[in-house]
Amino acid sequence: MNKRFLAPVVGIATFLLLWELVVRLTDVKPFILRAPSRIVRHLVENAGDFAAAAWVTALHAVGGLLIALAVALVVGSLMAASEFVEHATGPVLTLLQVTPFVAYIASVVLWLGSGTPPVLFITGLVCMPAFAFATVDGMRSADPAARELLASVDASRWEVLWRLRLPSALPSLFTAARYNVGLALIAAYLVEGGNFANEGLGAIGRRAAALNEGDTLWAAIFAMALLGTVLLVAISLLQRVVLRWHVSQRTVRT
Amino acid sequence: MSRIVVRDLTKVYGDLEVLSPLSIDITEGSFVSIIGPSGCGKTTLMRIVAGLEPATSGVVEVGGGAPAEARRQKRVAMVPQAPGLLPWRTVEANARLLLDVHRAANPTDAADPVDLLREVGLGDFLDAYPHELSGGMQQRVALVRALALHAPVVVMDEPVAAHDEITRAEMRLLLARLVEGRGATVLFITHSIPEAVALSDRVLVSSSRPGRIVADIDVDLPRPRPADVEDDPAFIALCGQVRHALHGGRS
Repeated sequence: MNKRFLAPVVGIATFLLLWELVVRLTDVKPFILRAPSRIVRHLVENAGDFAAAAWVTALHAVGGLLIALAVALVVGSLMAASEFVEHATGPVLTLLQVTPFVAYIASVVLWLGSGTPPVLFITGLVCMPAFAFATVDGMRSADPAARELLASVDASRWEVLWRLRLPSALPSLFTAARYNVGLALIAAYLVEGGNFANEGLGAIGRRAAALNEGDTLWAAIFAMALLGTVLLVAISLLQRVVLRWHVSQRTVRT
Repeated sequence: MSRIVVRDLTKVYGDLEVLSPLSIDITEGSFVSIIGPSGCGKTTLMRIVAGLEPATSGVVEVGGGAPAEARRQKRVAMVPQAPGLLPWRTVEANARLLLDVHRAANPTDAADPVDLLREVGLGDFLDAYPHELSGGMQQRVALVRALALHAPVVVMDEPVAAHDEITRAEMRLLLARLVEGRGATVLFITHSIPEAVALSDRVLVSSSRPGRIVADIDVDLPRPRPADVEDDPAFIALCGQVRHALHGGRS
């Protein structure tokens, strides 16, 4: 149990230490690379500002994830129910995944205005495909014997969905969530930066980059990394509770 | 009310004839086994009786009506070959599954699954999850799940086929105890001759595909049958009779 917590800490500490050593022992210019200690100091000195901005970004990312999940459950259920819908929708979702959303941020901001709406829209949009594919795969994986059994008592489509197909999709949805957390944070950061609302870590990062304030920019990046870690840990904890019955969550005894 | 009548039933999948004209009449409250080689259409027959699949031609009546109607009224309880337990439900919740869906059709005299679970020796495992149970225990949950419905018709598709001989023997005794005196009509599909004879009032022997009934053997051993019924000369003779029919039925 201890090793599971220790190993990641050792890994990250070593990485930061090597980084620190490279900066101190070589003559690298601060505008190319600065020492992590300097970044952390700046972050701590302005903790209040960064915490407030991180809270906004966290709400944007989580809000976008929840919107994506809600839409994906509907889209995925329809795709799992009909092969035609699946084959018609699949390519569109793939297009959403592979196109650079950064390119159309400005258009969406012009359309939805500044502030939270464009952030939630784009975050939800880019996270939706992975959730939708996970829903389809998970629902298809429902135990055939259990499906037959529910059919034998004439369970309604809704009951089969709720009692069998959705729970069957939970493991793949959690896998998609872990992948989507990073994507949601990046999307939220970039849209906050391309927005006129001046809120969130993205806005801080964008302004710092424009004004050449390296310390602030890197502190924003560190804050994003911290935020991502916190969200991933939260998802892991949720997964452990919700999926306590699943193979992936059982403790292996050796 | 729970008689099963099958008249001139055929089932064809594309070019594959699974059941050739097949007729069975199972009287109310009797336990009838169908035994036959693999791929003889036993499972197809069961699915048609359970209303899960339409017949290609012929008449099937369950309790005087169409199988689909019996299914809508939750009057057919099924025990599938794989237990089909939901891994996120506890033993107790799994045993309640068929009562939890389509509640409008629940019988007023549905049995309490917890009582049944205690009866099959799972009283200490009500809150356990399926992965914590052995295969035999999982199958007992599947059995309770079906019997809790209190349906007049029970269809079982080799519910103990996947287990070792010791588990099978235990399940056989348990099945006999649970089903005897409950008054349900049981259609039991099996590969095992002793299992069929030990449990049934009648054993129907099916030919290989396309399946048809080649022998209809009455098992007139008294009930309740003791655990050592298999040592009874009459039992051994009946097993021989079924074996001969099974071999003669092969083309």
